[in-house]
Amino acid sequence: MTDATRVPLLSMRGISKRFGGVEALAGVDLDVHRHEVVALVGDNGAGKSTLAKMVAGVLTPDTGLVEIEGVPVSIPTPAAAHALGVATVFQDLALCDNLDVTSNLFLGRELRDARGVRDDERMEQVARQILRDLTSRIPSVRVPLAHLSAGQRQSVAIARTLIGSPRIVVLDEPTAALSVAQTAEVLMHIEGLRDLGLGVVLISHNMTDVRSVADRIEVLRHGRNNGSFDARTTGYERILGAITGAVRADLGVPPVAAAS
Amino acid sequence: MTAIAGFSEMVTRNLRQSGIFAAFVLIVLLFSLLNSNFLSPGNLTNIVLQYSYILILAIGMVMVIVLGQIDLSVGSVVALTGAVAAVLVIRNGAPWWVGALAALAVGGLVGMWQGFWVAYVGIPGFIVTLAGMLLFRGMTYRVLDNVSLSPFGGTYYDVANGFSTNGWFGGYGVDVFTLVIFGLAVVGYAVSQWRTRMGRIAYQQVVESMPIFVAKIAVVAVVVMAFGYQLAQYRGLPNILILLAVLILAYSVITQRSVFGRHIYAIGGNLNAAQLSGVKVRKVTFWTFVNMGLLAGVAGVVFSSRMNGAQPSAGNMFELDAIAAAFIGGASTTGGVGRVTGAMTGALIMAVMSNGMQLMGVPQSIQQMVKGLVLLLAVAFDVWNKRRADAR
Repeated sequence: MTDATRVPLLSMRGISKRFGGVEALAGVDLDVHRHEVVALVGDNGAGKSTLAKMVAGVLTPDTGLVEIEGVPVSIPTPAAAHALGVATVFQDLALCDNLDVTSNLFLGRELRDARGVRDDERMEQVARQILRDLTSRIPSVRVPLAHLSAGQRQSVAIARTLIGSPRIVVLDEPTAALSVAQTAEVLMHIEGLRDLGLGVVLISHNMTDVRSVADRIEVLRHGRNNGSFDARTTGYERILGAITGAVRADLGVPPVAAAS
Repeated sequence: MTAIAGFSEMVTRNLRQSGIFAAFVLIVLLFSLLNSNFLSPGNLTNIVLQYSYILILAIGMVMVIVLGQIDLSVGSVVALTGAVAAVLVIRNGAPWWVGALAALAVGGLVGMWQGFWVAYVGIPGFIVTLAGMLLFRGMTYRVLDNVSLSPFGGTYYDVANGFSTNGWFGGYGVDVFTLVIFGLAVVGYAVSQWRTRMGRIAYQQVVESMPIFVAKIAVVAVVVMAFGYQLAQYRGLPNILILLAVLILAYSVITQRSVFGRHIYAIGGNLNAAQLSGVKVRKVTFWTFVNMGLLAGVAGVVFSSRMNGAQPSAGNMFELDAIAAAFIGGASTTGGVGRVTGAMTGALIMAVMSNGMQLMGVPQSIQQMVKGLVLLLAVAFDVWNKRRADAR
């Protein structure tokens, strides 16, 4: 293994965040490598979404170090996250119902032509290309989001991550509102992201989804790391134990070596 | 497959848009039947002059409403900017353009003030501009020392009352320049419609059948040229109509074709999503209010020019006319939906109704009641239409 592959794509160390009197995160560590899908699991309020929002530039940690490819970074805004190559799909689908598919894909990062004018034609071409790559069933890139089904909207949300060739993709509950077939499609897409060499952080409640697509499972509990497991070899019971607190990470479950 | 929609399908699909235009046409027809003077050259010119400032305000207002905000202060800002211009031009003898530029500057400053409170302090636009309504009305009284100033006269008066281009291309009894400009407008409309149609066909979207498409353009051409001919018979192209045309075109492009415009729609549609997507929500909000202030300054110049003076109570209730125009024109009360062209149609409906009722000698009290009901029905229609679309 060369140095370049051993340095994690994303490395978070000792991340803490308080909201008033509530300690959302207390010294959490997280590493994501290239070609890796890391599942972030935990009960409600464990701090998964808080952590995701820090990577996405929506929240900033109180303390802790964030490195991208070994370079310490701060991510103060979503635009900064995008500039660093981080793309995020949020749980509460950050889409505008009143805008069409292309507008949503490029929202906040519209393409401009040489004169600095919005380049609708090129955006539409790219949008069509990306949706074709995803083999999504969107009738037209000019349809307003309000006219799409939940699954189609999720496709648009995921397609957004492919705009501007990111390095890290964070997916917050991407399958929560989807049918079985749509879920399968999303999971296939996640595997596609891994094959492209991206690092993927997948936040999910659904153990079946997590175990079918993730390489590594990181458990959060009450804002702390509570175990790191190899997704292929670890049993369902053990992960559930870590989530619920029946098994404590510091009492005998050895963390699995990160790189796989 | 390129789908070709029939006439009835087109009407139902664009019920909101076609509804507003149909309503406008019906109202015009109604008044022209009730009063033979309604479509006379003099009166058509008068409608344009009389309500131009509401149209200008409605352009800014629809952008503020799409953003999910509201501006209640524009009437007071119209008064304040007109007052500043009057003090400079009438009391101190400054050239007309100094007064006009000062009015625009004051409008811009007002916009910055309100934009600051809304965007960077996070106070709802309703409150900030309600405060502004009082604040700027009070300032108007101070600036004018509680008295009216008049007359402007000269070039300043001509801004809203003049026909500067009349006779440029000559013509007996009809102004050729006016006809040329209207002809160019029709050609421009036809070309842009054709390009849109070609684009839709290229992307395999639904278009009207060819006869309907041609008929649509022909109807628009006839109506526009008839309007132009009437104006040409009177005194030609009012300056204010040129200003309006430039503003409407410019703001249609800004709202529909620019990144800034799209971000306004995104913020109004889903504030959270816009923020998460990296839209600079504060900046866009700030500049939308600055823009509203500037346009209120333009309206202030036009109104004071039209009135040939400035009164402390000028522009009272203009904000309500502008807001009504935006909502009648299809803007959504929750933000994210609305167009400049729609707001213009809404403002014209208000203008035509006021003018028509005035010609018929309908008392002011009844006029107010009718306008109130029209606003209510227009928004009710919008709500009903949305529910119908959701149920589908």
